[in-house]
Amino acid sequence: MGIAESGREKTTRLALQILASVSIFSVLMIFLFIFRESIPAITSQRFTLMTTNWSPNVTDPAAGQYGMLAFLNGTIFTTLGGMVLGAPLGIGTAVFITRIAPARIGGTISRGIELLAGIPSVIIGWFGLTLLVPQIARWTGTSGYGVMAASVVLAVMILPTVAALSAEALKSLPPELEEASMAMGATRWQTIRCTLLPAAKRGILVATVLGMGRAIGETMAVQMVVGNARQIAFSLTERTSTMTSRIITDMGESTGVFRSALYAQGLVLLLLAMMLILGVKLISRDKRVK
Amino acid sequence: MKPKTADRLATIAFWLLGGITVGVLLFIILQIFGRGILTALNPRFLLGKPEAMKEGGGVLPMIVSTLYLTGLTLAISLPVSLGAAVFLSEYAREGRLTNAIRFCVDSLASLPSIVFGLFGMTLFVIYFGWGYSLIAGAFTCAILNLPTLMRSSEESLRSVPGTYREASLSLGATKWTTVRQVVLPSATPGILAGTMLTIGRIIGESAAIVYTAGLFVRNIPTSPMDTAAPLAGYIWYAQTEALIPDFRRVVDGGAALLLLLVLLVNFAARRIGRYYQRKKMAGGADG
Repeated sequence: MGIAESGREKTTRLALQILASVSIFSVLMIFLFIFRESIPAITSQRFTLMTTNWSPNVTDPAAGQYGMLAFLNGTIFTTLGGMVLGAPLGIGTAVFITRIAPARIGGTISRGIELLAGIPSVIIGWFGLTLLVPQIARWTGTSGYGVMAASVVLAVMILPTVAALSAEALKSLPPELEEASMAMGATRWQTIRCTLLPAAKRGILVATVLGMGRAIGETMAVQMVVGNARQIAFSLTERTSTMTSRIITDMGESTGVFRSALYAQGLVLLLLAMMLILGVKLISRDKRVK
Repeated sequence: MKPKTADRLATIAFWLLGGITVGVLLFIILQIFGRGILTALNPRFLLGKPEAMKEGGGVLPMIVSTLYLTGLTLAISLPVSLGAAVFLSEYAREGRLTNAIRFCVDSLASLPSIVFGLFGMTLFVIYFGWGYSLIAGAFTCAILNLPTLMRSSEESLRSVPGTYREASLSLGATKWTTVRQVVLPSATPGILAGTMLTIGRIIGESAAIVYTAGLFVRNIPTSPMDTAAPLAGYIWYAQTEALIPDFRRVVDGGAALLLLLVLLVNFAARRIGRYYQRKKMAGGADG
């Protein structure tokens, strides 16, 4: 522009720029502080961190052993369980509301999915604890707490994320795709399977990855049903902990290295989240090149 | 299998999947309300003080904590996210800075809330010496909700037609005047809808606030420096510690009350959103 910005305009611009940079500053601070607090655990525990031996010592934290492998396993195990149940349900629901259901019903379900996304995790956790856990206990003859209960709870929590984002991906496809396929005499199922789902593949993948991020980070609902045992779980009905549930359970009473070991798990969660977001960026960047 | 048969089976399967999703939602809502709504609406519960060890406690300080925390959080994050959104949509040219900002906003949005809780506890509670307080919880929640608010505000600003800006600028208004008097007012309904959704998220947040704002109080918090106990966190605490003999009643009632609050806020957000949609369509018809 030819006209020079007045002094006041310049100040406004600078002020807005500073406000916009708050997000950058926040990310840096979060990384810095979580990292700084994990240092005592990393330097004193070293390879112990990567074992399944979690024996904290409340009175003398330095004397305890803080291996987080059992909880990393718990996070991966419950997240996978949640994905196996929740992702197909979410994607299927997305196909249903965008391609199969009459517009009215589809719209109503979309709003229902928004509501489900808004239900606080403590409520889903309480629901799981009072209904799911006793039911699982009856079926399997165990305590009912554990990986299976956590997986079902997580499936409910990732369902709205996966469904809403997949529906968006399916909606943004050009209508010509469906028309062309149907005009060739394909049935609706053939069109969905062979044309629409492959075309929306990237969007659905992003939806699934973001759902996974939600499952990894979910804390309260999982803490209420996973059993909070310190052991590693290899079966669906064993009690265990996830990294998030361990942090929230032990936060109140921990000091010193014990506390630092919780921050170290926070650091792992932070790095996992960063990896997922980079993954999402990579998936969507491919799209632009093509 | 014949394609026709496969198609019919697939249709049935998709109806089932859609039905399961709706069923899960309805089942949860009905269960939570069915068990707790009577307790939740009982004045002695709604307006009573909580008990630490005995039965018969209420949740008034928790409701006040939740409202207080929501107000403080918005007071912090609304100006920041609005300013950031105005910068991104009206001032910035796409480049390294905007890329960095967007990457950081995406990262913030994907971080688990427990990580914000850990961060808030270290920086605000311990390092700044604020202790478990509303202000520590509010700052933590403000950073947590920055991405949602920024994105929805930016989207609303961007959906204001360019002709509005051109008209204002051509009348000799400066950029900032244009933003303040033309763009922001037209984007207000969208920004409001985004704010309502954020309010719903703050009300339901627990992992980030239990170790920043506090877990349990008996008295109603008044100053921002007071320890608080927002309802969502208290539900978790009452259930986990189970110190009160009637924790089941308290948690049932608290969960129903929390769900009621969240649903009300969501409906309000949708109403505003629908109003916005209608206005946008009318605007499009004019152009």
